[in-house]
Amino acid sequence: MGSTLRAAWHIAVKDLAIEWRTKTAFASGLVFAVLVLAVLFFSRDPTTVSATDIAPGAMWVTFTFASMLGLNRAFLIERELRALDGILLTPAPRAAIYWGKFVANLAFVGAIEAISLPLFVLFYDVPIWRRLGELILVIAMATIAFVAVGTLLSAMVVRTRYAELMLPLLLLPFLVPPLVAGVQATAPLLDGRPLSDVSGWLKLIAGFDVAFVTLAALLFEVVLDE
Amino acid sequence: MTLRERGNRIARVGTVVTALALLGLAGVYVRAIVYTPVEAAQGAAQKIFYVHVPSAWAGLMAFVITGLLSILYLWLKDRRLDLAAAASAEVGVAFSAIILTTGPIWGKPIWGTWWTWDARLTSTLFLFLLFVGYIVLRGVLTDPGIRGRFSAVIGIMALFLVPFIHLTVYLFRTLHPAPIVLKPSRPSLPGDMLTTLMLSVGVFTVLYTGLLMLRYALGLLREAREEELADAS
Amino acid sequence: MSGAVTAPAMDVVLSASGVIRRFGYRTVLAGVSLSLRRGEVLLLVGPNGAGKTTLLRVLAGLLRPATGHVERHGAIGMVAHDAMLYPALSGRANLRFFARLHGIADLGRVDAVLEQVGLSRRADDRVGTFSRGMLQRVAIARALVHEPELLLFDEPLSGLDAAASRTLVELLASFRERGTAMIIVSHEMERLGRVATHIVRLAAGRLGPVESLTGRDPGAVFAELMRGDL
Repeated sequence: MGSTLRAAWHIAVKDLAIEWRTKTAFASGLVFAVLVLAVLFFSRDPTTVSATDIAPGAMWVTFTFASMLGLNRAFLIERELRALDGILLTPAPRAAIYWGKFVANLAFVGAIEAISLPLFVLFYDVPIWRRLGELILVIAMATIAFVAVGTLLSAMVVRTRYAELMLPLLLLPFLVPPLVAGVQATAPLLDGRPLSDVSGWLKLIAGFDVAFVTLAALLFEVVLDE
Repeated sequence: MTLRERGNRIARVGTVVTALALLGLAGVYVRAIVYTPVEAAQGAAQKIFYVHVPSAWAGLMAFVITGLLSILYLWLKDRRLDLAAAASAEVGVAFSAIILTTGPIWGKPIWGTWWTWDARLTSTLFLFLLFVGYIVLRGVLTDPGIRGRFSAVIGIMALFLVPFIHLTVYLFRTLHPAPIVLKPSRPSLPGDMLTTLMLSVGVFTVLYTGLLMLRYALGLLREAREEELADAS
Repeated sequence: MSGAVTAPAMDVVLSASGVIRRFGYRTVLAGVSLSLRRGEVLLLVGPNGAGKTTLLRVLAGLLRPATGHVERHGAIGMVAHDAMLYPALSGRANLRFFARLHGIADLGRVDAVLEQVGLSRRADDRVGTFSRGMLQRVAIARALVHEPELLLFDEPLSGLDAAASRTLVELLASFRERGTAMIIVSHEMERLGRVATHIVRLAAGRLGPVESLTGRDPGAVFAELMRGDL
């Protein structure tokens, strides 16, 4: 177990070091997030639809799609010169590859969310300060769901020619529970209601997280074999 | 028995089963239209549900079976389990496509809306989309070992997704109850109607089995051709 | 050294028996057995598509055989057609990463192995900018970093110019001096004939007899083997 954690850590650090050098995926994800937020804002009829009405949906759509841009890069770097084979030739446990990528993806998506959130407040003028901590909790829990399933699926689609298309196609159905729960939990929180009001949705996301993080980690080794 | 022989035999049996099911389906139509009482509130159009509800169940059942066969495949590594799982997925997609396209058309006069976010329909929609992706993925992967394993992963995850979608819909509806126009019938129906529904469910199960056998037989025959080509070279 | 499995000796580094590997219904490896001792350098030749790369990957543990098994008595390093590196990172950063995964605490080892392949000066440049020859050397450094008993090479001379090839062959000779066992897939008999101790031919998934090269003219042995191609 300790060796898995250590190896996973090294893999996560290496992934983030590479992303830090190039920053391409991060910059694209960020620009994409801003664009989605802006387009959704301007494409509504301001007289009938208030910004606060569409705010939760806009925020979550932005996070979801910006995350998907970043998920494929995790395994693309392993395929360029077949570095993944290099990892498989070391004694590092195979599960460590999943956990390392999972952590790196969480950090990546988390960074995009952290920067998009203030921009979101800027555009939509929503009072997130009332329940900022609770909001961050909901965002974190749903992000874990996206990344757990997304990491597994991106490992699969990366070897196909249509990875950018196949990932959203396969991933989005799995995002329905956490996404709907996220949106439904966000609106009351933005209204200033307490966390207990959205406990049903929170339990849903928590259950989903436990189930799918476990499932994805177990199934990952199947995806690595040739 | 060679693969080809087995494939041909299952195709023959499958044809018979499907033919029987289609006959049964005609019988259900007759019973539903002529012999089952008309529902008071919704009128004659309600009878659609003797076909609509069981076929939605057949679609979901097909996907659940794909998930179970996927687990068996990863455990036992028998290629035929992968072929069966893929066959079930395709049959499921076919059933679901029919529900999702005809449902709104029939539903509009009865429910008052094109779509209703109830658990069954919502699950059918997202599973349909997911398994279309499953079929696309299979089409893109050439290595049969990789194709089988990756499909199995998706099949198993889909299995676990179903309860969460149901939960999501349940929570959504308790918080946002839909305006009561007219809803799809509940399973607790009076005598005759329940019998018709159960008969219909039975017929659709047989239809699923027949179509599954045909599609599985097709998969076996394709494998037979692969094997023959490999032996020849 | 034999083409069939013998009783394991103390210095056997690798032994494989009855390895079968399929792709769909095509059999790529049809029952391959071999064993390799410390210090032996086996040159693996054969026509394209014979399964040489697949065999190497099975021996390395990257692929699982349908039947048969592979016993490894020692660590393995592999240098294949792809460098197994991260182009965005420097040679040093790449090596440190793999060293850590091997559990190597002393990072001085990384500097030592960079020195050994002659890349100390370019250690901090991104390997994505390297020529094929230099990339090959970083890949070899990666394969060496954990001091393996066995090295596997898949067409190591392909894409290298004459100077780079000479450097590589000298490097291989130095490994042989140290007693590292090697399996080299290559058709460049002229250059590698003097490094190898044995030669074997893989054709249609089957291994021919292993021929020793000590005291014989490599060219002649090779020609004898290649006659099977016609």
